[in-house]
Amino acid sequence: MTTTVTAPDAAVTPAAAPGGPRARAVLALALFEARDLLQQIVVLVFFTVYTVAVVRQMISGHLGWHELTGREGMAGYPALQDADRETQTSAVLLGVALFLCANRAALRSRRQDTDRHFGTLAMDPWRRTLGHALSVVPFALFSGLIVAVRFGWAALRPGAVGHGSVFELAVSPLTVLLCGVAGVLLARLVPSAFAAPLLAVTSYVVVLDSLVFADSHWTQWLSPVVAESGGDPLPSDLIGRPAAWHALYLTGLIALLLCAALLRSGGRTARIKAATALALAATAAGIAGQSPGPSAALQAARAQVSEHPESVERCAVRGATTYCALPEWTGRTADWAEAVERVRSLAPGAAAARPLTVRQRVEARYGLEGDPSYDPLTAPGVVTVGTRWGGNRVPEFSTGLASTLVAGDEKAGGEVCDGRVVAVMWLALGAADDPLGQLRAVRLDDSTEGGSYVLTPTSGLLMSAGQTKVVAELLHRPRAEVTARVKARWTELTRPGVSTARAAELLGVAATGLGAEGGNSCSE
Amino acid sequence: MTVTVSASGLTLRYGGTVALDDVALRLEEGITGLLGPNGAGKTTLLRVLATAVPADRGAFTVLGHDPGTAAGRLAVRRTLGYLPQNPGFHPDFTAFAFVDYVAILKELTDRAARHREVRRVLAEVDLADVRGRRIKRLSGGMRQRVALAAALVGDPRFLVLDEPTAGLDPEQRMRFRELITRTGEGRTVLLSTHQTEDVAMLCHRVIVMAGGHVRFEGTPAELTARAAGRVWSSAERDPGARAGWRTGAGAFRNVGDPPEGADLLEPTLEDGYLLTLDDTGAQAVTR
Repeated sequence: MTTTVTAPDAAVTPAAAPGGPRARAVLALALFEARDLLQQIVVLVFFTVYTVAVVRQMISGHLGWHELTGREGMAGYPALQDADRETQTSAVLLGVALFLCANRAALRSRRQDTDRHFGTLAMDPWRRTLGHALSVVPFALFSGLIVAVRFGWAALRPGAVGHGSVFELAVSPLTVLLCGVAGVLLARLVPSAFAAPLLAVTSYVVVLDSLVFADSHWTQWLSPVVAESGGDPLPSDLIGRPAAWHALYLTGLIALLLCAALLRSGGRTARIKAATALALAATAAGIAGQSPGPSAALQAARAQVSEHPESVERCAVRGATTYCALPEWTGRTADWAEAVERVRSLAPGAAAARPLTVRQRVEARYGLEGDPSYDPLTAPGVVTVGTRWGGNRVPEFSTGLASTLVAGDEKAGGEVCDGRVVAVMWLALGAADDPLGQLRAVRLDDSTEGGSYVLTPTSGLLMSAGQTKVVAELLHRPRAEVTARVKARWTELTRPGVSTARAAELLGVAATGLGAEGGNSCSE
Repeated sequence: MTVTVSASGLTLRYGGTVALDDVALRLEEGITGLLGPNGAGKTTLLRVLATAVPADRGAFTVLGHDPGTAAGRLAVRRTLGYLPQNPGFHPDFTAFAFVDYVAILKELTDRAARHREVRRVLAEVDLADVRGRRIKRLSGGMRQRVALAAALVGDPRFLVLDEPTAGLDPEQRMRFRELITRTGEGRTVLLSTHQTEDVAMLCHRVIVMAGGHVRFEGTPAELTARAAGRVWSSAERDPGARAGWRTGAGAFRNVGDPPEGADLLEPTLEDGYLLTLDDTGAQAVTR
């Protein structure tokens, strides 16, 4: 438009600018849009599901929905270097909802034909776009609050060990923000209400594909949430996740998408162009920083702790037991000692006083994923304890310990299949608060009948139907009575080759229906 | 009267069509009616003055602000209230929320003051009682008043109303006229309409457009006076009349150049409007 200055016939005072700084108007719009987002059914549903899921996970210690109670019971003993990462996945739910609804909100004026009017108002289109993008911020802050509460809840547990990363904790709010800003950008690029749902489904497939099937470390880390899990908790310094670089990548990406949306809406100011360049640089730096896999030094350190944990452990002696823990786990030796003393209390004098070493072990060579397994130790009186504790890990440890007390070493303890199983299981569970519940927990089939595999930190042991019957019967009886019998007949009960029928007889349990093997599990 | 809007040489083409052709006008405080047939360029002119689209050529100022610069455009927009033709709404918003939203886009940032202002304009358009009702549950007339409230929020000095009474029933139109009369006090209002009665009742000045040109600019009385001695009654349609129609009384009302001895009638604004269009070669409405 060619404009010539036309002086008015008389000076007319324009209406005073009704707003203050223009940024305040954008914030007012962001607040309005945030309130509107909160009234969207999709956001409400996902918001509720997210909150309930997190609260449930806090209480139960589970990440999924399959357990209604905290059966595993490990929530009381969190490793904070894992707890930070566990806050991330559930925020994706809220992010998807915000992606869809922020997109829809940004398209509202176009869909409902108010653009003709709004285009003549003081707020520029790019500032409106900024308002839409900022409307997601309260949700990101809420996500941050949830993360802080959840992590704080874990950190305040008396059994908590390790250290969390603020960069890992930042992933949830950043993911929520990223999704919302992406929804706004999409609205500015493709003015169709169908684009966002379509892209959400496509992204899900692509992200799933990259997470599940991609071998490439660098493509895996392009996803906002990289939830590596499955392995035992590793020491903080061996985690090896490029969390800081990833947070930089996400921050840069959010800024980049935002700048793209602003530029697309006509905000071609010098500041926005400079911010775009900065965001691009931050994103590129983040990608470059997070792309390399674990360094050689890290891999060497992981191998060292896996193969020679004693080289980094600190040991403390309590009574006849030496507890060797990785540096971050030294505070947990009191919990281990409690379990050890419970087992020892059921054994007779010599066995109860036998020197033992509780050695903490961790399989770090394969990183954070995978299902680690530990070979049983052959050194006399040395018992393995893992980096998890609480719930089933306690009776599993007790069983491993009891089998070592009975058989001499961990490897031999894992091979016990004769009547000694009765003594092992009595030592392991007899002094527990809920012996039958613990029996159920330590068995692979979660029952107190029939034959089953009994879990220990290493190889476990087999328990026949007959042995189960005898042990269950003992656990029903008064503890003092059984303890006295066990102590009195300890030598015969722990003699290699003793049959289950004989063990039952020695302990005053009816030995009917134990089968041709005398109730042993050696042939199973 | 002070001149609020001053335009000269406004020209705008849509492809090969000239929507505005060298339009010049001056608007003062009070209500100015903008008449013209479909395609005359009324809406285009309003959109240019409302800064929705820039003109290809020409210039205009609103309260001394030149919208050709970013700062000037912002200043113009801060003085402007615009009610577009067939305005869009966000049907899930309440009347209050919609006007509040517009107030935010007008950069009224103080929340408490803004809400007071929203309540004030909703009361001004008689919607105080339904301000919490969703727009999709309001009648057409109420929606139009919501749109007017959105235009009025922030107390703009220059109000651009594009066919605000279109589609309203007679009672709603009457109520809307009252509103526009009230809102015209102390403001400059440019009111585009097809209804000559609206102009006759509301406006102190009138502009007639046709073919992208301004064909007339003056007072309603001056426009009416253009038909003085050119409206007559006859028992049958006069073939020499430029327009004619049978009235309820059965006689024909003819507009044009009357034959000698014709039974002359008192002209109306509509007669003046029809003759203005006809005199300039624009298509008049013949009923």
